[in-house]
Amino acid sequence: MPPLRRRRTRSSAPGSVIENQRRKFLVPFVGPAFLFYTLLFVLPAIGAVWVSLHKWAGSGPMEFVGLRNYERVINDSQFQAAFVNTLLLLFVAGTAIFVLAFALTMVLRTMWGRSAVRSIIFFPHLINALVFGVLAGFLFNPTGLVNTALGWFGVDNPPLWLAKENIFPLIMATVIFTTTGYYTTIIMAGVDRIPPYLYEDCALAGATPFQRLWHVVIPLTWDVFGTCAILWTLSSIKIFEIIWVFGGSSGAGIPPVESWTSAVYTYVTAFSGQSTPAFGAATASAVISLLLVSVLVVFLRRVFRREAIEF
Amino acid sequence: MAAATSIHPAMRDKPSVLRSIWIGIIWIAVVLGVALLVWVVIQSFRPTAEILDQPFGLPSEFDVSNWVTAWTQGNFAMATWNSVWVTLVSSVLTILVAVPAAYYLGRVETPLTRGITMYFILGLGVPVQVILIPLFVILNELNLIDSLIGLNLVYIAISMPFTVFLLTAFFRTLPIEVEEAAALDGAGSIKTLILIALPLAKGGILTAFILQVIAHWNETLLALTLMQTPTKYTLPVALIEFVSQQIYTGADYGGTFAGISLVVLPMLAIYVWIGGRLSEGLTVGIGK
Repeated sequence: MPPLRRRRTRSSAPGSVIENQRRKFLVPFVGPAFLFYTLLFVLPAIGAVWVSLHKWAGSGPMEFVGLRNYERVINDSQFQAAFVNTLLLLFVAGTAIFVLAFALTMVLRTMWGRSAVRSIIFFPHLINALVFGVLAGFLFNPTGLVNTALGWFGVDNPPLWLAKENIFPLIMATVIFTTTGYYTTIIMAGVDRIPPYLYEDCALAGATPFQRLWHVVIPLTWDVFGTCAILWTLSSIKIFEIIWVFGGSSGAGIPPVESWTSAVYTYVTAFSGQSTPAFGAATASAVISLLLVSVLVVFLRRVFRREAIEF
Repeated sequence: MAAATSIHPAMRDKPSVLRSIWIGIIWIAVVLGVALLVWVVIQSFRPTAEILDQPFGLPSEFDVSNWVTAWTQGNFAMATWNSVWVTLVSSVLTILVAVPAAYYLGRVETPLTRGITMYFILGLGVPVQVILIPLFVILNELNLIDSLIGLNLVYIAISMPFTVFLLTAFFRTLPIEVEEAAALDGAGSIKTLILIALPLAKGGILTAFILQVIAHWNETLLALTLMQTPTKYTLPVALIEFVSQQIYTGADYGGTFAGISLVVLPMLAIYVWIGGRLSEGLTVGIGK
């Protein structure tokens, strides 16, 4: 009921004058944004569900097949591998990023040069992940920088970094390394909101650093963690560019299936030109990602929903 | 961002071995990251053979031939132009379309506007690969595949959820009193928006604009799917092509580094120019 009461009090305030005047402007003000968004975003999203129920090569007749695309995709070993990789990025790389970001925040908080470090570790967020994928090729190829540097330390048999079985762990490590800074910046902004007097209280009460962390810092930044978890869920599911070029050019023009994510699976299934495009199956795999994201976001909001603590 | 120039004594941690190790690791990672960026830019001025021979070397002379090759043969000139054009046009139009909508949704509170705001926010949760294929089909019908205009339209549409969300929240933080006074003085809604609200909202709008510039400059998957002839490629697509053609043409490290520099350096320039505002725009308001 609070919104209603608020509006009633407002109607006696001068705000109502403009509010009444403004209401007429719904269509000219909101209309263009609404149209763009509806026609080129919402409609395609609904269309995706429609396409995923058909067998379709992109041109020619569409054949309605019900849920058979989903069946096909789920039983496809390539999709399974890609989906497992997506889950690994989401949960394993995600956990690593959060643990590292939180640890970094704690260390950086009182460290000399913290503004400089904070500015630098945020920057990778502005770079196309494509660049990290290409650079990995120069760093990790057999005669690349990493092996050259290892050679100085007498390592003569470095691992085959870019071998099929090593490429995905290396991608995860690259993602962790280039993404942690962004989340550190966000968590730092949250921790910075904690007023210093609470730290004084801790000092006076003789709290150990761990107690301070557990009873003050984490509760007061809980909502920021929730936001970060949702941001990571949304962005990790889209990871594509870095995989597409990781390690430089591969012979086939598409990356080895060991490194695919479900976004790569969608693109390859529809557009690679390697086989007949299967728009239905490709879209079905994308819709499965959407379902995963939706479930996770609802779940995360549940977990992190809590009255914000006023301070 | 209250920069803690002096740290309150109660907040200071006791020095410990673990902490020193952490600080060491942080500085090593930061220095390596910066060094890598510097290395890429430096290597773009060295011939490929030299880079292969001595990956850590410095240029023996200031050799711009990589840049010339990348610019002329690697299609990067056209791609840079396309990227600049698409990025600027779509970002400007995104803001022009989103600002009035966000202003309205932030100022008028009815069940309808709450519903519309929610409708926009839901889009934040849809990964781009979901709309990829239907968009391809729709643009194909409209003859807008392989068209920079088509790409612009798509970029504007996919930017709506975030931009409207960000700016609506921003307009809500602005004081309404001045606008009320203007309204009482007889200014209409459009006049109030342009003369009163926009000047107050300049900072937030600039942040939203820059965030769009960054997003559109780096967007890859849609451009890769929708742009099909080399003259229409944007920079990320041109870079992918350049890298994948090296299986046939042989490694061209210097050219690749020039391409990477083209993708990265404009972002660095923006960051140096306006960085503080950006990290604030991306972090302040989060968790509210």
